[in-house]
Amino acid sequence: MAIENISEALAEDSSNKERKLIGDAENYFLDRVQGETGVNIAACYQCERCTNACPVSHYMDIKPHQVIRYTQLGWREALLNSSTIWVCLSCEMCSTYCPNEVDVAEIINHLRNMAAHSAITPKERSLAVFHQTFLEQLQRYGRINELWLMNFYNLKPNILKEKLEKGTLKEELLLGLTLWKKGRLNLFPRRSKMIKEIKSVYRRKRGDIV
Amino acid sequence: MKLSFYPGCSLEGMANDYTRSIVAVFKDLDIELVEIEDWTCCGSTAAHSLSQLMSVVLPAINLAAAEKIGLDIVSPCAMCFNRLRFSQQMIQRKLFDIPWQVTGDLRVHDMTRFLAEPSMIHSIQKRVVRPLEGLKVVCYYGCQMVRPPKITGYKDYENPKTLDRIASALGAEVMDWSYKSTCCGAGIGIARKDIGESLTKRILVKARQTGAQAIVVSCPLCQSNLDIIQKNASEDRTPIFYFTELMRLAFEEKGAEKWFNMHITDPLPLLIQKGFVN
Repeated sequence: MAIENISEALAEDSSNKERKLIGDAENYFLDRVQGETGVNIAACYQCERCTNACPVSHYMDIKPHQVIRYTQLGWREALLNSSTIWVCLSCEMCSTYCPNEVDVAEIINHLRNMAAHSAITPKERSLAVFHQTFLEQLQRYGRINELWLMNFYNLKPNILKEKLEKGTLKEELLLGLTLWKKGRLNLFPRRSKMIKEIKSVYRRKRGDIV
Repeated sequence: MKLSFYPGCSLEGMANDYTRSIVAVFKDLDIELVEIEDWTCCGSTAAHSLSQLMSVVLPAINLAAAEKIGLDIVSPCAMCFNRLRFSQQMIQRKLFDIPWQVTGDLRVHDMTRFLAEPSMIHSIQKRVVRPLEGLKVVCYYGCQMVRPPKITGYKDYENPKTLDRIASALGAEVMDWSYKSTCCGAGIGIARKDIGESLTKRILVKARQTGAQAIVVSCPLCQSNLDIIQKNASEDRTPIFYFTELMRLAFEEKGAEKWFNMHITDPLPLLIQKGFVN
């Protein structure tokens, strides 16, 4: 067959069909999540055992069993915009007690990873900022110092402002002082020599291959 | 016996007392701990939340360092233990490329299970000179040490018994309760204080309802979380002990170690009331 004919045939074919994207129902999103996590999401029969076991389901907008259903339906945007993925404690209650061994915590963790790499603003901003600060500190020193973690977290935009508005800052400072007096805080972070290696992994992750 | 010791970040700062008691207890039991050189943070919660790669790579650094020494790893922190085991499994399944020489063949112990093995319990019992008779305690394991069972290897994940065995070997009266492995919300406590506190308070209330005078823990985050929440309480205070602190207390004839001063909820009144300390 001549080349022109193929491209013509392809053009005709695509014009007849409606274009489908990941997340537009169909199985694309489900397949992707299943493939990347290795969890058999189809095994869920909505018994809600996960939601009943979850200690923080009260604070979630999409409950754990709904997360599984939403994934089956391919509602990617709703999932990544939810507070659920940030509120989840990764305490693994849901996965442990699921009668069909659906690893719900792994799914939620994977969705949180997806949200972190997407353009979507996290619904629970403070939690996302905290995780990010943690990793920044880790990249810098290789180990975490509680005092520095808290200080850098407070310096992130809007965190201090929020605390001032709620009036919790004074209490926090007093607690810090007590902990320091008790000898529980180190004033300066300790570095690990392996920091070079961590940085090189981050460089590779950014796309610097050589 | 020799083991490589991976302390983790908390044990350098907030849980300084835990480190000191561990060092003392292992000396008492004639087990040598070799600290892994230049260990790094395991990246707990933040790393696996934001980047799966880092959650495998960070513990792998420490696994590789331990493999250089060639000694099985013992980890006192529940979070670190969980992440080390997770990373080890991922390496064994060859799902991630690790830039260092690492096979994942070493055994990773969590400290409580290591000390709760029958032979260890036997040597602990032999060392006890001040039995903690009449001290009613509940043991609190937290979430990361027992779950998910596929990673931690716990078979009795609904009702773990390791800390119970150690505490009763020391002579304490161990109570049964239902909140042994409920999450205390430490990971969320800084950014969403309201959620964290509601979880922690529930554990404290339930422990008191059981009739416990103290809670025995093994996770540095659980300890600081349960301890700090009581800072403003005027009465009805429940001291939170690391299990190694109680071990050291039972191993000594008299006096109390200085590290009890580091607790926010002072445990000395209870110890004096029970007649362990003058």
